[in-house]
Amino acid sequence: MFASRVSLRLSNVVVRGAIVALTLTTGYIHFTLGGLLFTLNAVGYLTAAVAIVIPLALAVRFRWIVRAGLIGYAATAIVAWAVMGPYFATAYVAKAVEVALIVFLVIDFVRHDGSPMAVVRRELAALVALVTRRTGTAGAGAGA
Amino acid sequence: MKRLSLTIGLVALAAVLAACSNTSAAPATSDPGSPPPVGSAVTVTARDLKFTATEVAAPAGKAFDLVFDNQDGAPHNVAIYTDSSASTKVSVGEIFGGPAQKTQSVPALDAGTYFFRCDVHPDMQGTIVAD
Repeated sequence: MFASRVSLRLSNVVVRGAIVALTLTTGYIHFTLGGLLFTLNAVGYLTAAVAIVIPLALAVRFRWIVRAGLIGYAATAIVAWAVMGPYFATAYVAKAVEVALIVFLVIDFVRHDGSPMAVVRRELAALVALVTRRTGTAGAGAGA
Repeated sequence: MKRLSLTIGLVALAAVLAACSNTSAAPATSDPGSPPPVGSAVTVTARDLKFTATEVAAPAGKAFDLVFDNQDGAPHNVAIYTDSSASTKVSVGEIFGGPAQKTQSVPALDAGTYFFRCDVHPDMQGTIVAD
């Protein structure tokens, strides 16, 4: 259930800590705005902050999805705000935090996962290996 | 390192939750009454993420002051538009957190009905009837 081995250097811990802090900061700002939409947004950020550090094997295996998802989530929040507003001081602070969050997430992504294309190739290879193994197991079972 | 990473996350999480609980525990203004109007001022009050009055009367044909009493901790404003499409602005007040009051100057309105809302929470809406 828990990841058996996680190798993190100090720089990785700093980056991951910054991601958690920035995620919780923008989540908190959205929470203080009140209303359903902002509260759900805050819950989303809180969930992402947990998912980015929780040492569960499944979370560790698919951490790249969490990173990519959080990049998309923050980018969507920025674009939605840029289109709809409202433009006031707290909102500018929240968007600055989200821009910084995206920067740290990209750094974390590159350090752990490499390029997005490398991730796609690796996941496709894993999928093919899984299908091949299952097909082989089914074939062996049918032959027995 | 795994433990350190987890510890950083949990400490940050605890800090945010503590801050959130402080915010929710902040006392709201207990006085439900609106402040007395000053001159020809019109008062709009926000409480519990709603405007307490969704229909407000205003004088037509002359500029007036709108006193916005934000009794919430959350930031609100009063933005007046010609209609509910909110495409044509008449007067947009400053967004500020409460509990606090601010006054905005509204230009002379022709007689008729105008739409107002909070720009931060667009589901907070009302109408101003200029007569």
